[in-house]
Amino acid sequence: MSEVQEAIVEKKSEPLFSKKNRKLISDPLNDSNPITVQVLGICSALAITVQVQQAVIMSLSVLFVLIGGNIIISLMRNGIPDRIRIIVQLVIVAALVIIVNEVLKAFLPDISEKLSVFVGLIITNCIIMGRLEAFALANKPGPSFLDAIGNGLGYAWILLAVSIVREIFGSGAISFPGMGQVKFLPEGWFIGNGGFYENNNMMILPPMALVVVGVIIWIQRSRNTKLIESH
Amino acid sequence: MAVNKNSNGYTFLFSIVMVVVVGAALAITSQSLKPLQTKNDADKKRIDILGAIQVKATRENAAQMFEQYVVERVAINYNGDVLNSKTGAIDATDKNDPFNVDIQKEYRADVKKIVKESGKNQEEMAARLSAAPVSFPLFKCNKDGEILYVIPVVGTGLWGPIWGYVALKDDKQTIYGAKFDHKTETPGLGAEIKEYFFQEKFENKTLNTSSETVFSVVKGGAPTNEHSVDGITGGTVTSKGVDEMINRTLKVYIKYFESVNNQRAQR
Amino acid sequence: MEYINIFVKGIFIENMIFAYFLGMCSYLAVSKTVKTAMGLGLAVIFVLGITVPINYLLENYVLKEGALTWMGAEYATMDLSFLSFIMFIAVIASIVQLVEMIVEKFAPALYGALGIFLPLIAVNCSILGGALFMQERQYTDIGQATVFGLGSGVGWWLAIIAIAAIREKIRYSHVPAPLRGLGITFIITGLMGIAFMSFMGIDI
Repeated sequence: MSEVQEAIVEKKSEPLFSKKNRKLISDPLNDSNPITVQVLGICSALAITVQVQQAVIMSLSVLFVLIGGNIIISLMRNGIPDRIRIIVQLVIVAALVIIVNEVLKAFLPDISEKLSVFVGLIITNCIIMGRLEAFALANKPGPSFLDAIGNGLGYAWILLAVSIVREIFGSGAISFPGMGQVKFLPEGWFIGNGGFYENNNMMILPPMALVVVGVIIWIQRSRNTKLIESH
Repeated sequence: MAVNKNSNGYTFLFSIVMVVVVGAALAITSQSLKPLQTKNDADKKRIDILGAIQVKATRENAAQMFEQYVVERVAINYNGDVLNSKTGAIDATDKNDPFNVDIQKEYRADVKKIVKESGKNQEEMAARLSAAPVSFPLFKCNKDGEILYVIPVVGTGLWGPIWGYVALKDDKQTIYGAKFDHKTETPGLGAEIKEYFFQEKFENKTLNTSSETVFSVVKGGAPTNEHSVDGITGGTVTSKGVDEMINRTLKVYIKYFESVNNQRAQR
Repeated sequence: MEYINIFVKGIFIENMIFAYFLGMCSYLAVSKTVKTAMGLGLAVIFVLGITVPINYLLENYVLKEGALTWMGAEYATMDLSFLSFIMFIAVIASIVQLVEMIVEKFAPALYGALGIFLPLIAVNCSILGGALFMQERQYTDIGQATVFGLGSGVGWWLAIIAIAAIREKIRYSHVPAPLRGLGITFIITGLMGIAFMSFMGIDI
């Protein structure tokens, strides 16, 4: 991974927002997008993209855990024995997520209710483990922090894109945290009310998530041709 | 001081320290936040019960509103006999208080298995349920002079647990309101049971107290009568779950209401 | 009979890949050839078959409320379920580490082929998913839990073998260039998922 090597040779006096560091954020948005290029974090990307609302909550939680995990592992990187590094990473991520969930449950119960379903999914989200393993273990906290933000955002935009497509065609509406579901088509347009529009229930079913992600990859790669695989 | 971080001793020491630190951190968080969490859960329950009689409460005023509207809390057994009854403030530590009966826990522990194993065999189910350590809470409310009964129900949807509260009017037959919730139903399909447009359909329907099927949720789009509502299109399994839990639970309360009526008639 | 039901359900109806999308990352990344797919698929069956029953014991004799009663009556109200995630993960991670060491020692070729994905099997969501489903579905005995673990594993194996076989052949078709590789794999998996949906409702 080229960015890892870049970061290793980085000099101490480098400012936080140097060109290389900015690349840490911008790269995962397109050229090394965690979902469409690195193939990480697919499970959650598919399972929770039926509604925009869930996608937003999930993205924020992943961003948060990714930042926390990356910084902690990066601080500990010189002390972790190689042989048990996977367990150490898993335990730290899991502990982080559980503590966050417990705190939310006590102080912000309404948010926690929405989040607790995803707790298991966040822990096993391969993006988190993948970034800990590939980046944080070899880099200082500063760049690790930026790497976390970049990858978190790269993950978020795919999630949002997929969920917007699925919710518009599947439910004829967009939901947003705190606003509930906003139907933007007039009620009279729906077939049940004598109109012509019928929701495509297929979009809500799990398999269509895969097809939507496939199409997003198609669009992305036809614009960014260097990502095309030979086979 | 150079430490070989790949030596067995170091690895071992590291794991022990990590386990202790993480374990302690989790235990402390969990223990210190427990009272707050229990309070939040209880408030949520109060809000849901009040929601079934269409009183909107918030987390801030849930306890006070609950005391204002709920006049009596009763727990009955499967045969409709009263186990105990409480009025006044809720003692969170009192296991006998009907408010503190965790029917979801009882459902997970015994009821779910019995329902699954007896299938359509109603007699077997009744026999086994009456032997199981299960109690049925009932909340008698007074909303602006109108007496309402709130009955908690719990069952299984497509992916996980579903639960809710059904409120009956003073005639103990007409549904005043219903509130349902779920853990992991499909958003846009089964998850719609949470929405008011579905719960609204229950209002003013009546229970068929003389029949085996007290109330039914029919397949989306099928004709309905005064004892049934339309299920959710595309959420068939969840709708069936709602149907099952309402039927199974309300039957028990009908027995209780009948015995109350009989006592009154004898007097 | 119940065992067969759970097993078949795990393979076809509640398929880890097609119904829950669990273990997608390694599914997509390691399905280029049938040979490596077979290796990873078998590893998943093996790990699920071992970790689900172990986690079942852990859940029922340590973590669940009242599970510690065997230690004495004063522990009857202990509820350690807040530790369940971390305990499940610890068990899974140690077993995966064990499998990794065994494979490295006895099948170095396979080890080379699976590369970084063997350690990543620990974060293969299907493994933790298996443990969590086991917890949620409340299997009555350890036999059911084991059968469930094996069934889910076989379901996962079946899915990855099928997609790997298709991907080997699709090399000879004219797939639009930007869709090649990952894109078409997603779409084919979606179509397979639709096909698998027709198993829904089967009850043995």
